[in-house]
Amino acid sequence: MISIRLYMNGNLMLNEFRINLLSFALWLILICFFVAFTMAFYPMFIENQSQFMGLFNLFPTGLFEFKGISNFDDLFSVLGFYAANNAVYMQLFGSIYAIILGSNILLKEEYNKTADFLLSRPLTRSEVYLTKTAVMVFYILILNIIVILTGYLSIEFVKTGPYDLQSYLILSLYTFLLNLLFGFTGLFISTLIKRARPFTTLGIGIVLFMYFLYTISKITDEAEKLGYISPYRFVDANVLNPDYALNPWFVLYFAGLVIFLALTAFFIYKRKDIYV
Amino acid sequence: MQQPVIRIKDLTKYYGKAKGIEHVNLTVQEGEIFGFIGPNGAGKSTTIRILLNLIFPTNGSAEVLGMDVIRESKRIKKLTGYIPSDANAYMKMTVAEFLAYSSRFYFSGNSGRKIRELTVLFDLDTKRKIADLSRGNRKKVAIIQSMVHNPKLLILDEPTTGLDPLMQQQFFELLRKENHNGMTIFFSSHVLSEVQLLCERVAIIKEGEIIKIENIDNLRKKQLKKVFLEIEGEIPREIATIAGIEHIMMNSGNMLSFLFSGDINDLIRTLSATKLMNMTLEEPSLEEIFMHYYK
Repeated sequence: MISIRLYMNGNLMLNEFRINLLSFALWLILICFFVAFTMAFYPMFIENQSQFMGLFNLFPTGLFEFKGISNFDDLFSVLGFYAANNAVYMQLFGSIYAIILGSNILLKEEYNKTADFLLSRPLTRSEVYLTKTAVMVFYILILNIIVILTGYLSIEFVKTGPYDLQSYLILSLYTFLLNLLFGFTGLFISTLIKRARPFTTLGIGIVLFMYFLYTISKITDEAEKLGYISPYRFVDANVLNPDYALNPWFVLYFAGLVIFLALTAFFIYKRKDIYV
Repeated sequence: MQQPVIRIKDLTKYYGKAKGIEHVNLTVQEGEIFGFIGPNGAGKSTTIRILLNLIFPTNGSAEVLGMDVIRESKRIKKLTGYIPSDANAYMKMTVAEFLAYSSRFYFSGNSGRKIRELTVLFDLDTKRKIADLSRGNRKKVAIIQSMVHNPKLLILDEPTTGLDPLMQQQFFELLRKENHNGMTIFFSSHVLSEVQLLCERVAIIKEGEIIKIENIDNLRKKQLKKVFLEIEGEIPREIATIAGIEHIMMNSGNMLSFLFSGDINDLIRTLSATKLMNMTLEEPSLEEIFMHYYK
């Protein structure tokens, strides 16, 4: 508590929560709607299993592999269906939300020309950085928690048999780490920009490019190694694997990158010349 | 011995290869209204932004209230008010919300009384959104936020842009009152007349370098004027010998202009022997004052 009082500012934090609340609410509603809406198709999917199997057999298995599906039968388990169809919402939309939030949270003071006001208040750069970063992490965390709950309730509502809740939570934890990494990527890039302007399109482009790179690497053998550039490669979505567990190396990858980006952004911001 | 409120030593800032300021040295004493004058791009804002730790110097050092501007920036800003040249604020907030937000950085509660006093003085509707305010009214908001916490030092960067003459007058009266109550004021402007009206000492900066630091009384004593003459017949050669004449420009055969800092009676005595068609005396432009100091 003492350290929070020393290194964060309550007034700034409350204002940041207020400013970012509307966009958070819109993204949350959008993602929760897609998660619940897609899960609502699961009962119909099960009812027409034989027709869908006939259709899927026309595709190569690798097409779904990157979504954690190694066998088409997996798609008919409730968790397999979730991993193949729903997890992508948070992995894509959640990451886009995170990178936009991270890229704007410091930089918007510069391109909205309020940085002079904020940085002439009795605040250190460290306080500004830590307070704003805490708000970013908080919103990414809360978005994940609410989407996890929505996903859980949707699965509970449509399930036809038992499923492994732990696997669901592990997949969700990977998704949270992925979102967090994109949030800090946005934050890091924003500290490098000298003449401030929003880079929302670039942020969305980065997420989509990384997703595309990983998808390509799973579909074609030639591009397999390219997948390692993308953080999606380190999200293990194979929830129906009996040995499915949190891979400590993957967790270390996310944690290491997040810490590296957070610290580098912190030191750059501390010495950054602010222009308006 | 009195502690200077601002002490700048050999301060230099380069933006890549471009010079912002170079070897700036100046000291502002407690209780002074210190003018900082120069044309746009001369380095005024660069100096101020270093004092507020918005940008970092390439070389040299600066202290405000005896504290280093980089290491003790937070403590300095607690005791300093700042009015930026562009009065930008959070557009979606109302004036009241913005001023309350600003004051909460200094006080645990809301400094409502001071805000009310100042908003009444500046005739500002606190219920309006910042986005809906005119440039002048936004400037008023910037002035109020800079004074709410009764700072020891007020740093003003072109504070009068957007204010109408009546409001400028009220603003200057407020500054004089605050100065009388002990506030030190660092007033940056490119308008010589407003600096002369308010300040006790002035530093003149051009192309990133301080040209002169002058007591305003000395500046006034010099009474630098720009004189235009239209003379019937030939221009008498004796004009060039009058003390205080410089930068003579012949506009045509019988018209000339020059800067004059001498005794106006000497000038009139000399001119009495010639037939004048026209004579005007004007405030010199900043550029002309710089030329005067460059001589």
